[in-house]
Amino acid sequence: MTADLRERVRGRLRERLLAHGASRHFDDPELFATVEQLLQTAIAEGDAGALLLPELLGDAETWRLQTSMPYQSHRATGPAALILFVKRRVLMPVLRWLFEYSRDNFERQRRVNQVLFACIQELAIENAALRQQVRALAPPPAAASRPGGVEGR
Amino acid sequence: MKLAFVVQRYGADIAGGSEAHCRALAQQLAPRHDITVLTSCATDYVSWRNVHAPGETRDGSVRVIRFAVRSPRDLHAFADLSDEVFDSRASPERQRAWFTANGPDVPDLLDHLQRFGRTYDLVLFWTYRYFPSYFGVPIVKERAVLLPTAEEDHAIDLDVLGEFFTLPAAYLFLTPEEQALVSSRAARPLGPAAVIGTGIEPAETSDGRARTLLEQSGIPRDFVLYLGRVDRNKGCHTLLDHFQQYLDAFASDELTLVLAGPAKMRVPPHPRITSLGYVADDLRRALLAHARVLAVPSPYESLSIALLEGWNYGVPAIVNARCRVLQGQVRRANGGLPYRSGEEFSEALAYLRTHENERRVLGEQGRAYVDREYRWPTVIERVERLLGDLVGQRANVKGQR
Repeated sequence: MTADLRERVRGRLRERLLAHGASRHFDDPELFATVEQLLQTAIAEGDAGALLLPELLGDAETWRLQTSMPYQSHRATGPAALILFVKRRVLMPVLRWLFEYSRDNFERQRRVNQVLFACIQELAIENAALRQQVRALAPPPAAASRPGGVEGR
Repeated sequence: MKLAFVVQRYGADIAGGSEAHCRALAQQLAPRHDITVLTSCATDYVSWRNVHAPGETRDGSVRVIRFAVRSPRDLHAFADLSDEVFDSRASPERQRAWFTANGPDVPDLLDHLQRFGRTYDLVLFWTYRYFPSYFGVPIVKERAVLLPTAEEDHAIDLDVLGEFFTLPAAYLFLTPEEQALVSSRAARPLGPAAVIGTGIEPAETSDGRARTLLEQSGIPRDFVLYLGRVDRNKGCHTLLDHFQQYLDAFASDELTLVLAGPAKMRVPPHPRITSLGYVADDLRRALLAHARVLAVPSPYESLSIALLEGWNYGVPAIVNARCRVLQGQVRRANGGLPYRSGEEFSEALAYLRTHENERRVLGEQGRAYVDREYRWPTVIERVERLLGDLVGQRANVKGQR
């Protein structure tokens, strides 16, 4: 029952995307369903701890969205304490609504980034698996075509 | 068995899933076991302000010992700390500080566990995220049974939980999805566990009074029911959007969305959306008895009791498929339809509106699932089997020494 309902929704979505000029590849309902399934898997399985790309991006400080407000000052200990107190106890309560608005938006952006990382990972896995299959299907290179003589060292 | 139940708040007037679960289990087990509830003096989970007097009272045959909250929650400091620990890889010290700040800060309860913890056969802890469980489990870990009531929210990703989740002697989970979630965060494989859910009393047969009550409350004949706190965290903003999208697509359908629960967010004025606020038990039962469909839009759940209550009355559900627990409950019961978007919500609702027989069958399948899995005798048998095995094993180990 759920599959039938989803099929109808998918059909309408495909028509809408095509009407807005989506790739003609989406003319093929089967291909569209495969693409949708792949992206849905990325969204559903996109656990941040299971993603490769963030590990490869290097120091998280250089790319990761920071949604918390760090309280710090470059001043010496005495004035710094006063500045931090004012930031934390005077300014922040007044500006909290603005901070929370921004933080919620950053959170959304972070979620989108994570989903995109997951999509790229799914596509990369699919691509790598296809390469392996293509390599396995390819005929072995003919013995005659191998260069003779001593291999270069 | 002599059992201690540790929970952040306790009482008949406490509205909270884990607190209600703890109290219901205490009441069910009390006729056959010696139950002591160890809890705070607070009734409000936001401030943890002391309301009850510290000391011993009784709730029927359950002994209740309350401990004073040392300091109420500093909301701004807690919000800052939450931002810090959920945003980045905060140090273990900062993460532990979060559990202290989350409260309720009841050092005397920990002291009680230090001094008297070994006098209980087992100590059951509700909800991993609060101070009493996080700091209490390590004190009596060899006899601790954790009911994590875990959801897929930020807190479950804290690094310090990896070790914490391996400390208890055993676990009671509400759903298989919750068990899988906690297992995935634990540093090592978990010990003995049982998935128990919760007990639901069979629904009373509906009579004419229920319909009269609904008419007196201005509830139309055809309505979709949302049951619970009306809150963004419960996905209510998307429910309101999706329902309006449905009305746009199916303008001829005279369906109304009825929200039954205290509103913690603004509900836009709309002729086909009725927000009742808190509802008394008799109106709640009448709503369940006459709802066409139950909507459960929450993205985070460890077990949806509203969903079980709906099925208890034979009401099919449409649920947020992004929530694994809801998806799992609906799949096992075959008692509703999951949706992933506004379009799927509309399609599912339209289907149930136009296929009365299928709507009824889904509701009945839900009711059969509740009969099979969620009646108190079934739940209690699962609980007692696990607890009995644990106590038996400990006695055997003692005997061999």
